Amino acid sequence: MTANSLANIEGFQDKWRFASRDMRVNGWRMHYVDEGAGDPVLLLHGNPTWGFLYRDVIPPLLEAGRRVVVPDMIGFGLSEKPAREQAHSLDGHIANLTGLVRQLDLRRLTVVCHDWGGPTGLSFAMSNPERVRALVVMSTWAWPTPPAEFHTRLFPWRIMHAPLVGPYLLGRHNVLARRGVYLSVVDRDKFRREAQAAYDAVLPDYETRLLTWTWPRWIPLDDTARAQARFAWLEAELAKTRLPTLIIWGREDEVFDAATFAARFKQLLPHAEGPHLVTGRHFLQEDSGHEIGRLISAFLARLDQQGGT
Amino acid sequence: MTDTVVIANPEAGGTRRSLVLTEDRLGHYPEFRAFFARTFDLDRIALSEPGFVRAPSGLAYALVFIGRSGEPFPSGLEIYAIVDALEPLDDAAVDKDLWAILGWVIGGVGAPWTIETLQATGRLYRIPAAV
Repeated sequence: MTANSLANIEGFQDKWRFASRDMRVNGWRMHYVDEGAGDPVLLLHGNPTWGFLYRDVIPPLLEAGRRVVVPDMIGFGLSEKPAREQAHSLDGHIANLTGLVRQLDLRRLTVVCHDWGGPTGLSFAMSNPERVRALVVMSTWAWPTPPAEFHTRLFPWRIMHAPLVGPYLLGRHNVLARRGVYLSVVDRDKFRREAQAAYDAVLPDYETRLLTWTWPRWIPLDDTARAQARFAWLEAELAKTRLPTLIIWGREDEVFDAATFAARFKQLLPHAEGPHLVTGRHFLQEDSGHEIGRLISAFLARLDQQGGT
Repeated sequence: MTDTVVIANPEAGGTRRSLVLTEDRLGHYPEFRAFFARTFDLDRIALSEPGFVRAPSGLAYALVFIGRSGEPFPSGLEIYAIVDALEPLDDAAVDKDLWAILGWVIGGVGAPWTIETLQATGRLYRIPAAV
């Protein structure tokens, strides 16, 4: 049904030409694309998007001779969407990703993280370092304090996913995928014209949108938060890693602003390249997908030249 | 927006309960759970009966509280519109009612949660019932 809805979107098949694949991971059906050959690059999205977010990032990577794997997080995109909030946990999503990587036996992997793809992908990388060659971070976080002042505010963030309000706004009205993403790109007309329908189509009904209000509830706001210990562990592990890292950030990102968040990643990973600022708010791939693909390709080419493992 | 009132168990003859909103984690902010416990005397009556409210359209709604082992009660909530047994829902009317019920909840939970904040959020996201 969802795949049919996507196929009916004008121009969709020109933008998303990649073969659909499914794999059972950690008890769930995960959808992913797997294109090209060479050292693999894993592109991880967050809330409320899916692999489509990376449609313009993928071609430059393929042209540079990389294998590109783009999973849809369980609960998003074309992957299975559990019906109960209790089916989702940060550790569970990390395990989902670990299951995919191990079954595909990906090695010398570059993990590219955005939004919730950060806490999940970076945690995977820190617990499976022997499979990982490099990291790329974009508009995300990896520490237990609130990610942004925005996330502590009642309006519009905390009230948006409050008990009953979350299921109403994000479930009945799909406000995060519809209005939320729209407000978080720079070129809104282009987004509405070229992308909005593809994000709507994969979240067609109330039950399919569950993770859009569940993820916000996993953001630690104080030391009683469910994910507090995992984020504390992640931050400590990242501080020890020497994995080559690239930081890319949206110049216009007001939520995860570069001055705070890219700078904190740079402090945590002082050997990292960047931050490279590109045109973009939180969903920077919508405005600068090709440029991001080229930045990652160039970064990996430099690693090749340096004989990086 | 606060034209929602608690009512006694309405006459059930010729009606059905139609599920319109679910909340798996009522205690995400504990003050929300406390509001329902206080309003419907749940520490005393527990799971013995739902709570009932009447919303602006005149429809009655059943609030079915959910218990989960190891968590404070109630852990979840299901909201059912009580409608004519064989008639389809008026979804637009139900949506407005739910928005009114949310206002009643937020008003009852109290500071720092305010109806004005809820309304501003509804306007930001262009919720039909809020604009």
